[in-house]
Amino acid sequence: MFSDPLPILVMAPIAAGFACIAVPDGMKGLIKLFTGIVTAACLAGSIFVFREKPAFWFYGDTAVLLADNLSGFIAIAVSAFAFLITIYSFGSVERSFGRYFGYVLMTLGASMGVIFANNLLVMLVFWGFLAAMLYLLVNLENTKEAALAGRKALIIIGGTDAVMIFGIGLIWIMTDTFSMDMIRLPLDSILTYTAYFCIVIASFAKAGAMPFHSWLPDVAESASGSVAAYLPASLDKLLGIYLLARVSFDLFITTAASNLVLLAVGAITIVLAVMMALVQHNYRKLLGYHAVSQVGYMILGIGSGTVIGIAGGLFHMLNNAIYKSCLFLTSGAVEKKAGTMDLDKLGGLAKFMPFTFLACVIASLAISGIPPFNGFVSKWMIYQGIIESASSSRLWVVWLCAAMFGSALTIASFMKLLHAAFMGRKSDNIKEIREVGPSMYIPMLTLALICIIFGIFAFSIPLPLFILPAVSGVPAFIGTWGAVLATILILVGAAAGFILYRFFGRSGLRIVDNFVGGEAPEKLSRVSGTEFYDTINDISLIGRINRAESAGNFDLYNIGMKAVNFFTIPLQRLHNGVLPTYLIWCFLGMVGMFLFLFFR
Amino acid sequence: MHLFLIIPLAAAFMMAILARTGDCVRDIISGLAAISLAVFSVLTLMAANFFHSAVIVKSFAGFMPPAGTAFVVDGLSAFMLVTVNTVALFVVLYSAGYMNKYTDKWKFQSLFFLMISGINGVLVASDMFNLYVFLEIAAISAYFLVAFGTEAEELEASFKYAVMGTVASAFILLGIAFLYSHTSTLSLAGIAQAIAAAPSARIVQFVSVLFLMGFALKAALVPFHAWLAYAHSSAPAPISAMLSGVLIKVLGIYAIARIFFSVFGASAGICQILIALGVLSMIAGGVLAFGQSDIKRLFAYSTVSQIGYVALALGVATPLAFFGAVFHLFNHSIVKSLLFLNSGSIEQMFRTRDLSKISGVVAGAPVTGYTSIMGAMSISGVPPFGGFWSKLIIIFACLQAGHPVLAAIAVLVSVMTMAYYFAAMTPALFGAGINSFNAVKKVHGIMNVSVMALAVLALAAPLALLPEMRQRLIDGAVQALVNGSAYAATVLGAIK
Amino acid sequence: MVTYLLCLVLFSVGLYCVVRKRNIIKIIIGIGIMEYAINLFFILIGYRSNGRAPIFADDQAVVNMVDPLPQAMALTAIVISLAVTMMLVALAIRIYEKYGTFDITKINRLKG
Repeated sequence: MFSDPLPILVMAPIAAGFACIAVPDGMKGLIKLFTGIVTAACLAGSIFVFREKPAFWFYGDTAVLLADNLSGFIAIAVSAFAFLITIYSFGSVERSFGRYFGYVLMTLGASMGVIFANNLLVMLVFWGFLAAMLYLLVNLENTKEAALAGRKALIIIGGTDAVMIFGIGLIWIMTDTFSMDMIRLPLDSILTYTAYFCIVIASFAKAGAMPFHSWLPDVAESASGSVAAYLPASLDKLLGIYLLARVSFDLFITTAASNLVLLAVGAITIVLAVMMALVQHNYRKLLGYHAVSQVGYMILGIGSGTVIGIAGGLFHMLNNAIYKSCLFLTSGAVEKKAGTMDLDKLGGLAKFMPFTFLACVIASLAISGIPPFNGFVSKWMIYQGIIESASSSRLWVVWLCAAMFGSALTIASFMKLLHAAFMGRKSDNIKEIREVGPSMYIPMLTLALICIIFGIFAFSIPLPLFILPAVSGVPAFIGTWGAVLATILILVGAAAGFILYRFFGRSGLRIVDNFVGGEAPEKLSRVSGTEFYDTINDISLIGRINRAESAGNFDLYNIGMKAVNFFTIPLQRLHNGVLPTYLIWCFLGMVGMFLFLFFR
Repeated sequence: MHLFLIIPLAAAFMMAILARTGDCVRDIISGLAAISLAVFSVLTLMAANFFHSAVIVKSFAGFMPPAGTAFVVDGLSAFMLVTVNTVALFVVLYSAGYMNKYTDKWKFQSLFFLMISGINGVLVASDMFNLYVFLEIAAISAYFLVAFGTEAEELEASFKYAVMGTVASAFILLGIAFLYSHTSTLSLAGIAQAIAAAPSARIVQFVSVLFLMGFALKAALVPFHAWLAYAHSSAPAPISAMLSGVLIKVLGIYAIARIFFSVFGASAGICQILIALGVLSMIAGGVLAFGQSDIKRLFAYSTVSQIGYVALALGVATPLAFFGAVFHLFNHSIVKSLLFLNSGSIEQMFRTRDLSKISGVVAGAPVTGYTSIMGAMSISGVPPFGGFWSKLIIIFACLQAGHPVLAAIAVLVSVMTMAYYFAAMTPALFGAGINSFNAVKKVHGIMNVSVMALAVLALAAPLALLPEMRQRLIDGAVQALVNGSAYAATVLGAIK
Repeated sequence: MVTYLLCLVLFSVGLYCVVRKRNIIKIIIGIGIMEYAINLFFILIGYRSNGRAPIFADDQAVVNMVDPLPQAMALTAIVISLAVTMMLVALAIRIYEKYGTFDITKINRLKG
């Protein structure tokens, strides 16, 4: 259709975003329609590009934009998420329409820019622009917590942006070019290692791996549901892991030592974040910590260095975006109807919000890695990748145990979430609740459906179309997993159990009211799910880690601030306001210069 | 050429004469003067670069240098002239609205145009003593302007600034005396020739130190920076904008560049000193900015840090580094003026400068809020603003010249810059407004216009990097620095 | 040679006064001494041995004059230092009104 689809895909949403910001808020119908059309067009465009790949766009005589296998499918994913979340936002956004949709569109355009960029400088420009958009989107909430969360996010992501500039500068002086398809450096000297890790740090911060993770739970807690679904859940992960993949496979030739670092970071992230998630009382903060933990899996997959592990990591990136944003969208729906995100105050919503509940259950099962959903397939591939990498290092047992342990804790915390929010008795705080409107539950159910499809038909749709072309080499699967057969068996088993329960189970039971010591209590307080895991904090090591984390001791931002304040206070005391002091510094400076010049 | 001096001087005197007439007449005259200066400076830049790094010379009273004095504009001067006069235009527009709260507005306008004439004079001066005289004119007007509000703190700040500035000027004058005794000529081109004949005389190094001390104090490099926090935070907002955005750069950095690169010939020792001063300024300015709760003092220390970047780039002394230095000068002028003008609006709205007491700027005054965000993002190095590109170029230039440690320090300071700007400003900008917000004055219309124009310039600055624009705008300045030693030959050649 | 050194000694005296004295007025006087020393230095530079006053008259040959250029520079510098001194004194008066003291260690409200 168009001869140059790539630059249009990048610049059109940005221009549309500017237009949305400029339009006054009163015309919200127009804004919504416009945004919907633009995101749908973007989705269509990215599918078109995906079929035509590889596609180039030249400026002068170098390819500035490039779509290959890896970027093709991520572009589809990004624009699909933008489209779904736009539809969701039709129902959920209550104010600042122009700015909200404008920022969403500009973020979409900038993400396309990062994904398709072949020139390191172009990618850097769009990457930094994304950080600014994140800041503005989070601050749309206009509360103090949102301001603090947004600032932390901007400083961490923007700071690592500057570190990436250093890495790119090093690449430039080593290779004298900025085009990514012409760079392929082996990791053999300190300069190359520094350049590699500078860029890896930037991708970690964006995706939310430790130790750069601290912005994610804060943003998840204080931003609105759709923003949290758009950015920390899906886009940032997709872009961060895209950069990591691009750097590890195309720009540099990685070695076992660098993979070791990746594996270690991945494993630590999984375990520590999931332990923090277990004791959260806020719906979104729990989801935020899980987002951090899932990034660990992706990094583990990419760091394993085997073809199947890398494919697993990429597939996990895609799956995580799907079910994570589904979960955040459900949190947005619950907040809109129940008015609170505090798990202690929620409960029993399953009867009133069936679609939300269904989506949440499916997504929770997917994230925990339960077959036959998509999370299971990608985690299974990652485990296989780690086992296969046993030949290169002895520590594979540690990584495998960490991954499985994380998986177990994930399902534990999601049981807690489901119980506290949806099951059990309804809390008295909540008044009349109804289901959310179709513009909100259709995207949720769509995402849940995709979870199921990608799980059952994993080997026919997503893997061969999206993931495997992006990975060089053919993965060798250990063992067999017949997804369709397993699904049929699971369904048969579930149906059999249900029939048994319905027709044969009830007759022998006697249902009585609660009683304590032979007497009926007046009012039994309802058991909220959040207290399930409080005993974990009693284990001294875990309790100490959790307390340190909530106090912000693992928070790189806080550590950085304290370190700088250590230097600021003595310097400030030196500036005591007395004029002769300042003049004496001037003379000391002058004398220093004299000595330097005369005795060189 | 002489128009650059005549227009502001005439405007200054007319302000004094028209003291009794209404504000409108004086505002219109000052606006016209500023616009004409800005337009003329752009024309000069076009002319200077059109003839490809040629030098425009205009003699004064018929005697040619080195006997007489002349006005010389080369690529660097033309570029700085554009920067200065553009910023001055927007500050004049802004002060038309802001200074209504002070009495005796005519004194302000008169002194302001005197300062502009002094700054322009430094830029077009072709001999040493002219440089000194115009430097003093600008500096003395600045001392007066800082004390304009005559509150206790402003007087204290102005006194400290004045004493330190006078000591610096005394050293510069002493340096001029020594230099004259060595070279017997005052014209910059003549001095360049005399020094080229005997480059490593001890007296040249002695004079270099005296000049460095004097001009580094004017430029607010560490350890000569202490006056800046006082002067820039206590002055009225438009004056802070002019001081931070323009005066430091012209009186300090331009003078250093002109004297050390064009006249003395850059030696390795001077470059190393510049690098050392630059690194000290970057780090000390950044660290000190963290502890500030006064918004203008925060910006002032940030200025120290950013001027450190420029000094570092000048010290590295490769063509790419010069490009980064010049471009960073331009970006920083625009953005710092924008930030200071906004701080004036914020001060007017909230009646305090203390950041912990301010909140909800974006909700209450969207133009001020969003342009402040754009300004802070530009300085912190967020794409696509101009500040990102200039920092990128400086970091790459350090790497290219083989100084990876310097580049790492520049990156670290960039992270610090982003941290202290946003850590301090985010709670002030966002968050619900304070209760008494409704009773607070709104921002005057014309103040918004000038601030928005500056923000647009900050956003459009990267366009100057496109090859066609770059050739017309910046390359002349870079050439002037790179071929510094050719200054004398070019000037004397242009006379004949 | 000795006169030059004595001139620089005078300059240092002025500098010492600026740095070490606590009274504002004494600082201003110190600045005055510094300016005076510099002007004197200018005149000394211009001196040529056995030179005479550089006056251009019809009946005298243009030979062996002292250098007139530093004299012009000194005049200009005197005017500039006049402006500076005047401003500093005005500031000192207003500071006294606001702070009630001339002691510079007490005029210290802006810190940090």
